[in-house]
Amino acid sequence: MTGDRFERLLRDAAPDYHRPPETPREEMWRQIVEARARRRMLVQRRWPYWGLGIAAVLALGIGIGRWSARGQQRTETAAGRVANEPGTLAYRVAAAQYLSRTEALLTGFRTEARAGSPDAQVAAQARDLLTTTRLMLDSPAARDGRLKALLEDLELVLAQIAQLPADSDKEDVQLITRGLDERSVLLRLRTAIPAGPGPVRMQGAL
Amino acid sequence: MDERELIARVRAGDGAAERALYDAHVDRVYRLAYRLAGDDELARELTQDTFVRVFERLGSFRGEARLSTWLHAVATSVVLNGLRKAKRFRQRETDLDEANAISGGPPPAEPDLKRRLAQAIDRLPRGYRTVFVMHDVEGYTHEEIGAALGIETGTSKAQLSRARGKLREALADFAGEWVS
Repeated sequence: MTGDRFERLLRDAAPDYHRPPETPREEMWRQIVEARARRRMLVQRRWPYWGLGIAAVLALGIGIGRWSARGQQRTETAAGRVANEPGTLAYRVAAAQYLSRTEALLTGFRTEARAGSPDAQVAAQARDLLTTTRLMLDSPAARDGRLKALLEDLELVLAQIAQLPADSDKEDVQLITRGLDERSVLLRLRTAIPAGPGPVRMQGAL
Repeated sequence: MDERELIARVRAGDGAAERALYDAHVDRVYRLAYRLAGDDELARELTQDTFVRVFERLGSFRGEARLSTWLHAVATSVVLNGLRKAKRFRQRETDLDEANAISGGPPPAEPDLKRRLAQAIDRLPRGYRTVFVMHDVEGYTHEEIGAALGIETGTSKAQLSRARGKLREALADFAGEWVS
């Protein structure tokens, strides 16, 4: 077959390869709307069960923190950091644990993302931490602008990981890791975690 | 409504904007899904999955590329992954069918050239076939293919050239009919 004739054959015959019918716009749109509604309902139904334990612990910590901070003289630092505001052990323990767990999860996620697709367990842990993140956003911690911005980024990243399907593809995972890198989330998270050996540390954002 | 405004409104949960985004892109997504799947039901499923994902993830779209580039990258990823799963499923069905088939029937009639071409395209390696269908059948540019598949433009061109070479080999026995 000559080159020209072959090119002509391709040009003539290729459009007939799996020629699509007219796009079934309305039917597909209906299915999309229904699928999204189902997903939203599923997420709402699952919410009360996710991370109930850790949320309760954090809520207790924040509650004790607020109670014990009442009447305490506030010493505003130049940065106006939240660290001195609750001034309680319980609050700091809960918040430090949350930040450390989130850092561990995101570090693990990035490592697994490089090797392939992350484990389904990662999505479950992200759901737990997402509950806590939202609680943190409602806590005194969110009064610190820098920490609030970090928590908002963490909320977005954790929500994305939590929604990763079990058969997630490389592109899904890459979108999340790209977001992590572009917003320097891990770096900011590590900076926010209090330094020092014990569970309760006296530096960092808390 | 420009693209930036459309994205902002979709992110804010505006149903009309969601529908406008869908209307602007659904034809191209469905056509590609159908061309690659060769099956209406599967093409519909893949198109629907694409838009469900697009609406879910529009929040993570940072605007470095055009929306259509990003959307088609999501679409090709959904379609190619969906086809991999469907192929595994169909392979099991085919194995069963073949096991149940009655042997010794008459040989099939010689298919015409277009049918032979379609079969040859179906048999191309996945990467070659995807690039061939996107470029020669659906008219995507190599730049669009590169962006959608995450490959270099040169790779897209090389894969298309190899795909055409393989098709030419597969149809070599038609040479007598075509050489004047």
